[in-house]
Amino acid sequence: MAKTKFLVSRYDAARDTKPYLQEFRLEIPQGATLLDCINLIKWTQDGTLTYRMSCRSAICGSCSMKVNGHARLACKTQAADVVIDGAVTIEPMGNLPLIRDLAVDLEPFFDSIDRVKPYLVPDESRQWKREMLQSHDDYRKIEDASTCIMCASCWSDCNVLEVDPRFLGPAALAKAQRFVHDSRDSDTIGRIEFLSRVTGMWDCTHCAECATRCPTDAKPLFRIKELRTAAMTHKITNNNGARHVLAFRESVGGTVPGIGGGMLNENYIPVRSVGFFNLDGILSIIPVGVRMIIRGKNPPILPHIIDKFGEVRAMFRRFNDYRKEYRK
Amino acid sequence: MRKHDVVIVGAGLAGLRAALELAGKVDVAVVSKVYPSRSHSGAAQGGVAAAMANESDDSPELHMYDTVKGSDYLGDQDAIEIMTHDAPITITEMEHLGCVFSRDAEGRIAQREFGGHSKPRACYAADRTGHAMLHTLYEQSFKYKKDITFYNEWYLLDLIYQDGSARGIVAMDMKTGDIEVIHAKAVLFGTGGYGRAYKITSNAFANTGDGIMAAYRAGLPLEDMEFVQFHPTGLYQQGILMSEAARGEGGYLLNGNMERFMERYAKSRMELAPRDIVSRAEQSEINEGRGAGPNKDYIYIDLRHLGREKILEKLPQIRQLAIDFLGVDCIDNPIPIQPTAHYSMGGIPASKDCEVYSDEKGTIVKGFYAAGECSCISVHGANRLGTNSLLDATVFGRRAGKSILNYLVGAKHEPVNEAEEKRKARKRIDDLLYTPSTESANNIRNELKEAMTTNVGVYRDKERLAAAHKKLKELQQRFTKVRVEDKGKVFNTEIIEALELANMLAYSELIIAGAEARTESRGAHARVDYPTRDDVNWMKHTMVSAGADGAIQLKYKPVVVTKHQPEERKY
Amino acid sequence: MKYALYTGCVAKGAGRELMSATVYAAERLGIQIREMKDASCCGAGAIQEDNPLLADALNARTFSLAEEQGLDIMTICGTCQGVMRTAQIKMEHNPAHKERVNAALKRDSGREYQGKVKVKHFYQIVEEDYGLENLVKRVTRKLTGLKVAPFYGCYVLRPHEYSDTKVPDRPDYLEKLIAAVGATPVDYAEKQKCCGFPILMPNKANALQLSGNAMIGALKAGADVIVTPCPLCHLNMDSYQPEIEEMLDRKINMPVLHYPQLIALALGANLDELKMNTHVVLPNEKLLEVVNR
Repeated sequence: MAKTKFLVSRYDAARDTKPYLQEFRLEIPQGATLLDCINLIKWTQDGTLTYRMSCRSAICGSCSMKVNGHARLACKTQAADVVIDGAVTIEPMGNLPLIRDLAVDLEPFFDSIDRVKPYLVPDESRQWKREMLQSHDDYRKIEDASTCIMCASCWSDCNVLEVDPRFLGPAALAKAQRFVHDSRDSDTIGRIEFLSRVTGMWDCTHCAECATRCPTDAKPLFRIKELRTAAMTHKITNNNGARHVLAFRESVGGTVPGIGGGMLNENYIPVRSVGFFNLDGILSIIPVGVRMIIRGKNPPILPHIIDKFGEVRAMFRRFNDYRKEYRK
Repeated sequence: MRKHDVVIVGAGLAGLRAALELAGKVDVAVVSKVYPSRSHSGAAQGGVAAAMANESDDSPELHMYDTVKGSDYLGDQDAIEIMTHDAPITITEMEHLGCVFSRDAEGRIAQREFGGHSKPRACYAADRTGHAMLHTLYEQSFKYKKDITFYNEWYLLDLIYQDGSARGIVAMDMKTGDIEVIHAKAVLFGTGGYGRAYKITSNAFANTGDGIMAAYRAGLPLEDMEFVQFHPTGLYQQGILMSEAARGEGGYLLNGNMERFMERYAKSRMELAPRDIVSRAEQSEINEGRGAGPNKDYIYIDLRHLGREKILEKLPQIRQLAIDFLGVDCIDNPIPIQPTAHYSMGGIPASKDCEVYSDEKGTIVKGFYAAGECSCISVHGANRLGTNSLLDATVFGRRAGKSILNYLVGAKHEPVNEAEEKRKARKRIDDLLYTPSTESANNIRNELKEAMTTNVGVYRDKERLAAAHKKLKELQQRFTKVRVEDKGKVFNTEIIEALELANMLAYSELIIAGAEARTESRGAHARVDYPTRDDVNWMKHTMVSAGADGAIQLKYKPVVVTKHQPEERKY
Repeated sequence: MKYALYTGCVAKGAGRELMSATVYAAERLGIQIREMKDASCCGAGAIQEDNPLLADALNARTFSLAEEQGLDIMTICGTCQGVMRTAQIKMEHNPAHKERVNAALKRDSGREYQGKVKVKHFYQIVEEDYGLENLVKRVTRKLTGLKVAPFYGCYVLRPHEYSDTKVPDRPDYLEKLIAAVGATPVDYAEKQKCCGFPILMPNKANALQLSGNAMIGALKAGADVIVTPCPLCHLNMDSYQPEIEEMLDRKINMPVLHYPQLIALALGANLDELKMNTHVVLPNEKLLEVVNR
């Protein structure tokens, strides 16, 4: 078998001004994981190559790194599967300060977890003698989030974190979902209110990198969506993100008279989202409105009503029934 | 110099559980070579034993009997009794702390069958039980973040032990390479096991016995080192754990002829016999030419009859592991497996309150505690039952915390010579970095692991043990000239790996020494040349320590027998 | 070749020029389209968060409308495509969920989603059903010399389990189209990233920064224009470009073309026919030069 090129990012602050790619050549042994290969490089070619690893069975979360541009666990990856044109590119995770080679500073990641009160707040009056009861269905609501191994793959590839390091980030939000939906937790509303602030659940832009890179069932994007559903269900809507969702409901469902019927009313969405009585908010959307009017790009003033809208209206009239049926 | 009331080394279940017990009451620090969530407790899969009696009648007494019998009567029965009686409250507490457990129809913690347990006693979270428990404790550590100082990615170099008392530790901050003394009134080790010396192992790269060897180097004895558990279902060639829960849920073991061979070895318990028995049965099948595959060197675990739904709900992780590592989906095909080095029954001798002993007579070291896999209390004796390890770590982590609180009343910081401690540690590292070097650490490590798996594995005999011992001596000699290329300070993982290899080379010899001396077969220690248990001569714990000249000394300590006299083990 | 055209909201609202280009391109290629005037909004992820079952039922209704006509669906919005395929795949993988959706749908609209209809974006139809080689034959105006930056948009790529793109981490259908019309694709790091549009309301600064980074990336790679299959990406990068320029304190002047616009231009459309003067960022010098050559 031909040797594969491993292009590995190297950086040593004592010597280098910035990271560079070093080429190693290695024949990939049959069935070898990417971690096996990196270990072989370290142990037989260059002992100074620096990275983290421990369990090599995808449960400790140590060995996440960017492989061909995207974060993944080296131990969970068959090396042969990631060779592109005879080469694999290996770089440190993104959105974290570099320490050396593939090792990054994880403190910002663990700090984000700290911010969501990542522990159960049980009812103080509970009985201690036995376990608290939880139905199988309630367990299922928190099972996926509970599989997170804190590898930070989601954090590494999160698009929002690239532009805003204050964002809570995917893992912390998934961790928060695990408590918001935990039938044993007594701080549901407090948690949702906190998570509804700027930097919280509504700041996620759905790039879905987290759900794609996550090596477990935690899949943060889906947990964030569940958090938003919880916020809407508990009517914690005093923010632009939640009002934006309400605007969809009102214009597509026609639940507010004259606003729409089956389609979005794009004139209504921004005004409703910033809030009708939010002067600063309204002012902030005027320039784009003006620009669009000048070009004739502004949506028609009268809302578009689809044919057979009655069918859609009938569905929205049973809005709460749909929610109940979904929870079943 | 850093100073705390208590320093805990290891942030797995034992270490974190103890920290939680101490948080807010005293100044506690936790030192770990990995972030706490990376600790190997998280890799435990199948369950944690406690006589909750959710699925059937059960009692701590029955749990005790099963554990004593499973231990092949080498377990200390007073400690086992405490563990099984503390189990239900300890698990209930874990649940109240938020642990995500699988549930039964009534909403109670679900329980399943496990090897050697006569009742469905394993509380579980799918097949991620250790992960669920570890993360629960890690979550709690955020709650008490003001009360616990974490030294994450600090590597333990030495235990400071002087005149009968432990006074702190010497450790390296991996991020800076700085060597620091952490001075404490009490030290707790929860540093995990030593299975990394084997080629086929379920252990993490981190499980290199750093804690036990720090104790040994300080002059303290280690207990029952020859008892290394081989788990019957390690992924073929990888050794990665395929939970015993796979058998607890009804999985079959098949040989190359697709026979359920356990019928010949443990007719009544079949696949759910204790691990020592099942691993030996597998090894016998392979040795006698009935293995599977082109080289007839593996066994199958067959889950197909469980059905897709049950596998996805109860065994999702092991399914994924077999897909990722072998490309086998257990819904459609049986998984190739073999025995894998898994758990260290031996370790730092300690009392049922986790106080470390300095000799075979039971003299207690002041201010030094051990809990979890690094300890030998001894609740597992010659063979641990599945699901008793998470229990051991949690119960004794909790007890260690309480025990330390009692000790701290009136305790003070004993004097420490910081400069001297740092100099000694520095020298050990500089010797590795700057002595003329010709030997590859990789070769030494590979040869060690090969020798241990081949000659100190499931079956042992005089010749193989002698061969292994000889090899060890050679490897230790070669290690004095080992090459470390990385001279940098920042995150120098090569120097850490060299220190870990030094530990592995040292403790492997202790395993062999204990095994050579023990001329009987008991639990995980199976001698082909001494195939039966010898209660007359060997109903005792091995205590190994370094003599004045550094030579290995073996002494023995009696087993504590309270309620259950040894009898023949039948399953 | 005939499809039920699912326009989505933007093509009927703030991006009507997308509709013009779609009709033009389809007609010239000989792809018949029939607009689904009775289809509702796909929910765009927002209704999914408000009421997951209702959102799936809305899309199941749309699917049943197409099934009634015996046509597969053509979408022209990356977000609609991603959201609708997600609904479809969820029901495919979970028959119990499909049953639940259909029960509600039947109750409220008398309809049923059978699971037969295919949902494809215009780009998939061009690539898989029509064939780029057939498109090349109809090109009357090669866009030679125009450097085009592909911008994929999230919904057709991720999460991978809901994406039809073959290698979603290394998609190439935009590059292939760009080459097919005689233009030159440019490569840049941001081409598969998020434009930020979904958080325009909750966090405008982040939304604009994301689009800004993408456009700067394209600019640095030498792009004259950007092309995207998602009109929401277009809206964020086009309508807000003046604000982005102000925020980043630099001129960008990057026209952002809809996927069908690039095809229509190559098939000979003039800029007026495509209503390109309704873009906030008007065709720049290079684009005009290539088109008027």
